[in-house]
Amino acid sequence: MIQRRGLKRWLLALAALHGVVACAGFFAPYDPAEQDRERPYLPPMKIHLVDAQGLHHLRPFFYAVRLRDGSFDQFEESTGQPLPLQFFVTGARYRLLGLVPTRLHLFGAQTSRIHLLGSDAYGRDQLSRILYGGQISLLAGLLGAGLTLFLGVLVGATAGYYGGWRDGLFMRLAELFAALPWLYLLFALRAFLPLAVSPVRAFFLIILVIGAVGWARPARLVRGVVLSARERDFVRAARGFGATDGYLLRRHILPETSSVILTQAAILVPQFVLAEMTLSFLGLGVPEPVPTWGNLLASLQQYSVLLSYWWMYVPALAIVPFFLGYLGLASTLHQDAGIGKIERTSSWNSW
Amino acid sequence: MEELLKVENLEKHYENTGVLGTKKEVAALRGVSFSISARSTLALVGESGSGKSTLAFCIACLERPTSGSIIFRGEEIAARPEEEQRTVRPKIQLVFQDPTRSLNPRFSALEIVSEPLLVQGQCSKREREDKARALLAQVGIPQQKALHKADEFSGGQRQRLAIARALALEPKLLILDEALSALDCSVQAQISNLLLELQSLLGLTYLFITHDLAMAGHLADEIAVMEQGKIVELGPVEKVLRSPEQKVTQRLIMATPRLTDAADGLVVA
Amino acid sequence: MRYLLHRLTQAVFLLIGASLLTFLFSTLAPGNYFDEMRLNPQISPETVTALRAQYQLDRPLPVRYARWVRSLLRGEMGFSFSYNTPVAPLLWVRARNTLLLTVFATLFAWALALPLGIWSATTLGRAPDRALSWATAALLVIPDLVLALGLLILAVRSGWFPTGGMVSVGFENFSRIQQFRDVASHMELPVIALVLSALPILVRHVRAAVAEVLEAPFLRAAASHGIRRSRLLCRYALRAAANPLISLFGFSVGALLSGSLLVEVVMSWPGLGPLLLEAILARDLYVVIGGVLFSTMFLVLGNFLADLLVYWADPRIRTRTAAQ
Repeated sequence: MIQRRGLKRWLLALAALHGVVACAGFFAPYDPAEQDRERPYLPPMKIHLVDAQGLHHLRPFFYAVRLRDGSFDQFEESTGQPLPLQFFVTGARYRLLGLVPTRLHLFGAQTSRIHLLGSDAYGRDQLSRILYGGQISLLAGLLGAGLTLFLGVLVGATAGYYGGWRDGLFMRLAELFAALPWLYLLFALRAFLPLAVSPVRAFFLIILVIGAVGWARPARLVRGVVLSARERDFVRAARGFGATDGYLLRRHILPETSSVILTQAAILVPQFVLAEMTLSFLGLGVPEPVPTWGNLLASLQQYSVLLSYWWMYVPALAIVPFFLGYLGLASTLHQDAGIGKIERTSSWNSW
Repeated sequence: MEELLKVENLEKHYENTGVLGTKKEVAALRGVSFSISARSTLALVGESGSGKSTLAFCIACLERPTSGSIIFRGEEIAARPEEEQRTVRPKIQLVFQDPTRSLNPRFSALEIVSEPLLVQGQCSKREREDKARALLAQVGIPQQKALHKADEFSGGQRQRLAIARALALEPKLLILDEALSALDCSVQAQISNLLLELQSLLGLTYLFITHDLAMAGHLADEIAVMEQGKIVELGPVEKVLRSPEQKVTQRLIMATPRLTDAADGLVVA
Repeated sequence: MRYLLHRLTQAVFLLIGASLLTFLFSTLAPGNYFDEMRLNPQISPETVTALRAQYQLDRPLPVRYARWVRSLLRGEMGFSFSYNTPVAPLLWVRARNTLLLTVFATLFAWALALPLGIWSATTLGRAPDRALSWATAALLVIPDLVLALGLLILAVRSGWFPTGGMVSVGFENFSRIQQFRDVASHMELPVIALVLSALPILVRHVRAAVAEVLEAPFLRAAASHGIRRSRLLCRYALRAAANPLISLFGFSVGALLSGSLLVEVVMSWPGLGPLLLEAILARDLYVVIGGVLFSTMFLVLGNFLADLLVYWADPRIRTRTAAQ
């Protein structure tokens, strides 16, 4: 019972997180490609309720930013003019969930651009880019995990059900794939595919690469379940009234693998999102101008950025709540000693 | 009466590969021969490991014997290829020992009982459901429970479901592999009575595998005693139980808990 | 002995399989180094063709593989197009640096994970265990890329650690001791990053393994004999938990190797990672293959080491194989 409540909690949290990213257009004040080259690398802007004169405003506001006298890259707030933060504004055009064309955004401002998380080298709003980038990264992780699980089930079920040479071959192959250091394998595969491709092709390419590398472990787990399910009496009984292999697999055996598959999905999705981030960060993934969490971090490879523009690191943190959600889900599914939950006290202390 | 099933010199060898690849041959059946008349019940008794289940699986075409023949309704079936066996299988059905394992817990009662019809693909969905409901009624499962999942039934009810499922394809021979052993005593009585009813109603032939001599005495016309892959004693049930010839039969009889009727010393179920 | 031989042959087959696999992947390459060279107007087409023939890239896969194996046996492992030298010497230098990092990271990670995990297991359910569980959970949730970058920013802005590279300017003029300390100080940040990324998993597994052993009946029996707790722990419990922990050790080597690739690139540590990345971007075929194989080799060696330890530590394995 406790387990089911915990499960619902994690699922809800994940759904909320994914929902925010899915509706990136609404939550983001600007189009992620919108540039402002005059004012690059703006630091995050603060929201105030009390202005420089000590007056309390009803509506939250922010200050426009101007260059500090005598400096090239130091900015300060021009406290003379408070600019109100507006909610449910009309802004850039986008399609909600890819379907509904609209122009409504959660918040925005009129005369000046507001950058809650700062802006990058081209003056593009980081918050917007993070939200839109999440769509790509998460989708890559989900699709990659889907591909891996599909391959894993295919291989594992074939090996487990038919046995014989198929089993031997696939399991040797799985051992090989599982034995190689995962990231090196990923890179090796990526290495030989075309490097400079369009963002769309790159996206599907890395899904293919990520999905093709990680199938070994799910395959082994599925094989184990199929092996034991195959020997069940109800399977024998069904064979006894003439069921074909296909029927047995479909109706009796594969449903037994559902819990393994779900647990693996919860573990693989965050790993694959991370893989996309790593590849894109290093320039092997989705290229500019399409934002992904990975290539948003690419600028951090420059020392100057590391030193002066710390807000360019924030996209890295975007994945953390998702990791938390998926890991929590995985451990509830797996019934491990969950995150922070310790059930029993041991008798060691009573001796 | 006609012979429904005749088994001649059936042998089944298994190969077990040891740790370092050494192959060991295990002989589960070493030349078994017997026959069952139509509409009668043959009880097959023996200790664990005597080969009873292997024999059952071979007759039900779930395993292939290494040599020997199985003649069902005058036709040899053991040597047939897989597809042809599929046409024979409906007529020989198996009821397993443990209904918790032989029924898929995720299936509903209706699904379980109609599964053989679904697999054989001969009826429409409507017909399947009607037949399944009729079968449920025949084994005494109330109609309201038709859509309940298998794990919501008691042990005895599950075994009824298993029997109903076995009857779905209108078999001629029903092999009951320790079908009552996992049930409580009182439930055993109910189910065995159901079996007797069904036998006379549908003209079934039973091969009743058990280690429980009392049950064998209650249900069977003939008894065959197995030991280490061979049949060592075969005959009408009363004769075998009263004057057993083989040591193993005597051992089995001695081991059976008896509520003796002082008059004739027969084991009473 | 037989057991070890068996494991050794397995390891060799694994390496062969890995080399075949990477070669197979290389056939996916739609173009290659030379196609890109051909686009460069400054290189004449004849040069390109000559180079192609010299490196045998126009031959079918089995021939290429055979040539590569021969080159491997000569100690070269193919040729690097970008560096214009045989691959092996390039790899050895970088591999040494990666090993330096990985070995120290493994040592520190285990040196921390063992006591923490044991402490957690012995105080199961109580305050220290709960605190540690929360801490490991917090670390687990931060992926290694995020961690490495975060540490890097911290280092750059605070100036506490040297950032980037393995040695400082003027290294050649340092005395031995100074050189040693210089490398060590450059190692601090990457090692911390690796240790922190591996620690939560190790601690959890140590905790689980030790906790399971602590509940075992034989330990209760020993306790009922009045043996002191500390002795119980060291001589009995840990011995029994050794088997799963040693397997975990093998696994940790692989995880740290993968992790080191990223950490090296982020922190500019001159190991296999940056070399591999560079080779990928430059399409330097044999360096990529060599890099993947080297890392696999280390992984396999690490696992073999774990097998050795298990063989020595667990008498059951010795007797089992002797009985066969």
